[in-house]
Amino acid sequence: MTSRISKTTIGIGIAVLVLFFMGFSGYNTLVNLDEAAATAWGNVQTQYQRRADLIPSLVNTVKGYAKHESATLEGVVAARAKATSLQVSADDLTPEKMKQIQQAQGELSQAIGRLLMITENYPDLKASENFSELQAQLEGTENRINESRQLYNKSVQEYNQTVRRFPSNIIATLCGFDKRTLFEADAAAQKAPTVEF
Amino acid sequence: MQTAFPHSAPTPRPQRKQGFAVARLCLVLCCLMWLPLTLWAEKWRPETLPMVYLQDARRHVCNPDHILDPATVAQADSLLTALERDKGVQTVVAVVKELEGDDPYAFGMALGKRYGIGSKEQRTGLIILLATEDRSYQILTGNGLEGTLPDALCRRIENRVMVPELKNKHWDAAILLTLQAIDGIVRNDPTITNQLGEDEEDTADIIAGIICLVVFMLFLVVAIYYGWRSNRCPVCKKAQLKITQRRKVRHTKTGERFTEITLTCPKCGHSHKRRIKDNDNQGGAFAGGMAAGSLLGGGGGGGGRSFGGTFGGGSFGGGGSGGRF
Repeated sequence: MTSRISKTTIGIGIAVLVLFFMGFSGYNTLVNLDEAAATAWGNVQTQYQRRADLIPSLVNTVKGYAKHESATLEGVVAARAKATSLQVSADDLTPEKMKQIQQAQGELSQAIGRLLMITENYPDLKASENFSELQAQLEGTENRINESRQLYNKSVQEYNQTVRRFPSNIIATLCGFDKRTLFEADAAAQKAPTVEF
Repeated sequence: MQTAFPHSAPTPRPQRKQGFAVARLCLVLCCLMWLPLTLWAEKWRPETLPMVYLQDARRHVCNPDHILDPATVAQADSLLTALERDKGVQTVVAVVKELEGDDPYAFGMALGKRYGIGSKEQRTGLIILLATEDRSYQILTGNGLEGTLPDALCRRIENRVMVPELKNKHWDAAILLTLQAIDGIVRNDPTITNQLGEDEEDTADIIAGIICLVVFMLFLVVAIYYGWRSNRCPVCKKAQLKITQRRKVRHTKTGERFTEITLTCPKCGHSHKRRIKDNDNQGGAFAGGMAAGSLLGGGGGGGGRSFGGTFGGGSFGGGGSGGRF
């Protein structure tokens, strides 16, 4: 009898240990994925900031050649101010906040697009090396924004899958891992300014 | 170009057999003329572009349409091989006529992601594209190279060096001058050094070698121990059995040949016989040959690595600059 009990105890003990280690590794996986998603969001923010930082010199360069376009220039400055005022950390990213950010950044993209459109009318500006290099920086930053957004979506997708999948969803619920918000492919907001050469 | 050779043949009239034959002939002729045209103007995709670097680590220039002069390719290859050796910047240059989709940025990014151009640690991959019929060009910098070659600097190189030559259709000069300009900038940046390359790989190789050696020694010790134990006298367990007699025997029923060994303990005098099948020796010889073969094969594999290049898993974040001429 005693040996039977001890065997059952051993069995239960092993099962508990296995479950404990499974939960352990599941938790660690969730933490890693969560951190990866937060880092990816940080990268997106960095790229948005990079674009915002380029705007003063862009505006100044264009101003030097196209003084009469003050309305467009002011539009860019205002859109930049609005976009940079929205800084949200990865953990506070609710779908509503994400929508706000996407809208503000989309407006900035459109304002930059309009500004670049009017530069077509100023051949001196287009020929200026300074402006050409600024345009390259802007174009590269738009590309980086797109890349970082894609990477963010990819890591969030992986994280969300783990949060929802069995058995990791049990640990996620127990430890409070919530689903994260994805970037939505909003046609108007995602539209990058067309840079012509 | 393709519209000049319409696919549809003249409509055949069913009542006339001759007309039908002519139509078929026209169709065949059209197809025959089409074939070399499509071959001649292949629109390259990232998957189809032959990556010469993978076959030979000293070749960095993909020139599948033979737009560049072989001498230019050789010069560019030697410059880029030296740059990779000294600075760890892994470059791929692709000069083609047309790109599918006519989007050099997307093509370059797909190429970079597909092969992981540049090392994972340094991330200093560099892709330079030129599509002569599309009249497009693109420089893409890996994440680790963005500080050395910011977008504006790439644009400056393109504006000052590349585009003037491209406008005159001097493809060789455009590529060489661009590479020389980039080479100068990268070499002047002291922050970029070849961090991985041979040294790290060698350490990894040495560690792997030591591990293999330790495992092999352990295996050897265990084998010797078991060999010694199996030859121990089963009665007194104090001494090793010695072979005192060896003779060939043949199984009367099956006809198999055996070698019968008589083993005697020098301490207690216990003796017993052991039969070994004759073809067992052949098995031993075969295994030995296999081991030697695999050792030789391993050596051959190690030597072969210096020829083909490998990409280290570098990443591209969208930096660089491109345009049309």
